[in-house]
Amino acid sequence: PQEHQEEAKSSAVSSSQIFHSDGGEMEPETMEIKSVSEYFTKMHMGSVMSRQRG
Amino acid sequence: HVRYRMEVSCLELALEGERLCKVGDYRAGVSFFEAAIQVGTEDLQVLSAIYSQLGNAYFHLHDYAKALEFHRHDLTLTRTIGDLLGEAKASGNLGNTLKVLGRFDEAVVCCQRHLDIARDTNDKVGQARALYNFGNVYHAKGKSICWSGAEPGDFPEEVMMALRKAAEYYEANLVIVKEHGDRAAQGRTYGNLGNTYYLLGNFRKAVASHEQRLLIAKEFGDRSAERRAYCNLGNAYIFLGEFEVAAEHYKKTLQLARQLKDRAVEAQACYSLGNTYTLLQDYERAIDNHLKHLIIAQDLNDRIGEGRACWSLGNAHTALGNHDQAMHFAEKHLEICKETGDRSGELTARMNVSDLQMVLGLSYSTNNSTLSENKDIDYNLHGARPRMSRRHSMENLELMQLTPDKMNGQK
Repeated sequence: PQEHQEEAKSSAVSSSQIFHSDGGEMEPETMEIKSVSEYFTKMHMGSVMSRQRG
Repeated sequence: HVRYRMEVSCLELALEGERLCKVGDYRAGVSFFEAAIQVGTEDLQVLSAIYSQLGNAYFHLHDYAKALEFHRHDLTLTRTIGDLLGEAKASGNLGNTLKVLGRFDEAVVCCQRHLDIARDTNDKVGQARALYNFGNVYHAKGKSICWSGAEPGDFPEEVMMALRKAAEYYEANLVIVKEHGDRAAQGRTYGNLGNTYYLLGNFRKAVASHEQRLLIAKEFGDRSAERRAYCNLGNAYIFLGEFEVAAEHYKKTLQLARQLKDRAVEAQACYSLGNTYTLLQDYERAIDNHLKHLIIAQDLNDRIGEGRACWSLGNAHTALGNHDQAMHFAEKHLEICKETGDRSGELTARMNVSDLQMVLGLSYSTNNSTLSENKDIDYNLHGARPRMSRRHSMENLELMQLTPDKMNGQK
């Protein structure tokens, strides 16, 4: 899923850039993604649900 | 009871921050994450996820100092709690951020840590990602060392060494992502590998890589990546001396830029096409494209681009013997160079204006044969007359690049 997020990003190139002088347009960086919801689903959902019920 | 409410509140804020970042609203996402930190949490895994996402959000917002700050916090935290996987991720993100900030040696250390952990834990996906980041760091390092004047493949040894390292890391990454059949990752790597081969002066290999990138972009229907591939292919074909092929690729770039409604990229494609037609000695088409570039540059208030367009138009009109038109654009070029403080461009423009004054003066006092002789001299003066051999065409291109802005350090 993170790949698609990165793919969607298009970086605007100023028209002041000359052809081939910039050594070509690079692909986006891949950032590592951490997620609270994923972690929470795995670790905590059960206990909070029971606390909410109580 | 109070602590429980706080925990829920921190979590809720973080979840909202996460949702906003997922839909690309990083500004709002940052506010929610910052608020979540204000409320606080005792769950250090949650805190790590918040730091990490804040770092990424700032990265996307191009606030790299802030990105650095939060990825650092994340790294410290994951080390403290002994979360190895979290540390690998934090190292990767920190490496990417340090790369953008031009701190390559520190970035290398981070990439190595990312790679070491992935190897120790036998995490192949992690290894591939670390290798890609590594390649990016060396590519950026190579580009940063020496970037004035030299042609691809003709950089100092230090630059070539960094670029060769980048290629090695990208190749190592490719082995893994091919094994895993991860096409999106392959696409990215082929793109950057192509650019690396290009800088190393290996234009055939650059073309082969960008062809692969293009294929994958089409598979995904990723038109931005497709446009990038066409543009990069055009550049490589220029250096192979295959100008007609280059023109075809730039035309595709232009078509996609228009579809994507990206005016800046459209302008760049017109400019590249204009230069390519100059190399093909088709000055009418060159003028047509440079005019299109000029109009967009004016729309976008891009004075540097406008200056460059005027300079190119001056050269093309000179080549055609339209000295009045050439003078008009040379004067405009001079005016813009003065305004933007482009000293070397100003010098070139002054030379062009005075050359043209001479030619125009002569044209009033002598007959047409004198004029046509002068036309030849002008071509050579301005580097506007292309030759079909690679070496000479590149010398002309170098002139075209150098004059308006390169010495000024503009990109």
